Amino acid sequence: MNVPTSFFGWVSFLLDRYGQLFLQGTGVTLLVALSGTVLGFVIGLLVAIVRTIPLPKGPWYRQLPLRVVYFLLNVYIEVFRGTPMIVQSMVIYYGSMMIGLIKRGTPVLPAAIFIVSINTGAYMAEIIRGGIISVDKGQKEAATAIGMTHWQAMTHVVLPQAVRNIMPSIGNEFVVNIKDSSVLNVISLSELYFTGKSAAGNYGRYFESFFIIACIYLVLTFTVTRILRLVERKMDGSKNYTIYGSQSDSHSSITISEEEA
Amino acid sequence: MDSILEIRHLEKSFGDHAVLRDISFSVKKGDVICIIGSSGSGKSTLLRCVNFLEEPTGGEILYHGKNAEKEWKRTLYNSKVGMVFQSFNLFGNHNVLENCVLGQMQVLKVKRVEAEERALTYLKRVGMDAYRAARPAQLSGGQKQRVAIARALCMEPEVLLFDEPTSALDPEMVGEVLYVMQDLASAGMTMLIVTHEMSFARDVASRVLFMDGGVIVEDAPPQQLFSHPEQPRTQEFLKRVLARQL
Repeated sequence: MNVPTSFFGWVSFLLDRYGQLFLQGTGVTLLVALSGTVLGFVIGLLVAIVRTIPLPKGPWYRQLPLRVVYFLLNVYIEVFRGTPMIVQSMVIYYGSMMIGLIKRGTPVLPAAIFIVSINTGAYMAEIIRGGIISVDKGQKEAATAIGMTHWQAMTHVVLPQAVRNIMPSIGNEFVVNIKDSSVLNVISLSELYFTGKSAAGNYGRYFESFFIIACIYLVLTFTVTRILRLVERKMDGSKNYTIYGSQSDSHSSITISEEEA
Repeated sequence: MDSILEIRHLEKSFGDHAVLRDISFSVKKGDVICIIGSSGSGKSTLLRCVNFLEEPTGGEILYHGKNAEKEWKRTLYNSKVGMVFQSFNLFGNHNVLENCVLGQMQVLKVKRVEAEERALTYLKRVGMDAYRAARPAQLSGGQKQRVAIARALCMEPEVLLFDEPTSALDPEMVGEVLYVMQDLASAGMTMLIVTHEMSFARDVASRVLFMDGGVIVEDAPPQQLFSHPEQPRTQEFLKRVLARQL
């Protein structure tokens, strides 16, 4: 076998050998990061909707159920924000194995997605709470004033605007998840970092192998950031709008375009 | 004739601070009641208590003779007692048409086709149907307020509450909004209007309430209240305000 002698020689050698493996690792990383972010976002939304329900008037025992729920949600947020995900994955994975929830040898992927989702959910809950605060409270009042329920007001009026405002933070979470899913290698998830470590170990070429891995991470995060910017622009809607009808012709219309200043 | 709304001994305090004290009056069908008074007199709080955006701390509100807080479903009551805000509060994530459609579909469970039709009817009435596709951010203040009025009308309310609807507008846009309100008044809409527009109150109102320090000081038809105010506090207020406005 010809052993490469230069840096780039090793890089292309490793790519040739382990390209397939790296690609699989990339796939797993993306899958875990994406589903973790999406599920975490859903968890965060639900937590935020519940945490913004106004307390009912009246004696303390009518407020008790909601207060208990608030308390539990706060515990959830504090625990999962207050401990490292690497520790959470060990505790959750081996813990659920000990109590017999999963068996030794079951695929680790579902557990990994669960861990990332629940961790992201705790952060998202706070991010979304911030987003809700950022929406003028007149919006909720207007929705209430025409008879909408808390749920309707939140889902049709407040949250869409809150989510638009926090898109940059959601993007951050996604990028963080792409990178931090690497800690799941401790429960032997064969994500990108894990495949890099395997490849490096076989030939003792740590620098070259992780140089490749670093490049892949960078491409992933950069692409994701760009895509999210496009989504943001889409959410802002068209800068143009049409005015229908004129005094002489009710079917005429003109389109007003606002150039970006 | 029976009252649509009857406010009885309404109280509101924030902590130790009493904002409304023993407020009582009734609203009959077709009434246009203007509430005037200096800022801090509790006018807006009163209006916000009427549709429970602020929870009253005492007294009761009867809607068709039944307690609005206990005997009416809150969402139904709110859809029947519409509100127009000083700061418009159009839904920023929806265009003009959708602002008018959303409540109908969500609260009244009206089908989209019908909701859009009704929305266009009311948008036309306030002269904003041409702008159905525009977003709130693309409209002027006066246009926003007219859409907000159309949005409230789409719920086919029995009473409309106006909380200083022209106070946030540039002077040249005040007229278009007052014009729409005047049109509604002459069509028989029941309205409760907190306003600083004295000439509007004088010309359009069927009754004027003057508030000061959280109580209704005087409740009279506009001719009487503006020409022969009985209470010294009303006289003093009108002297101050009318000298500036007219």
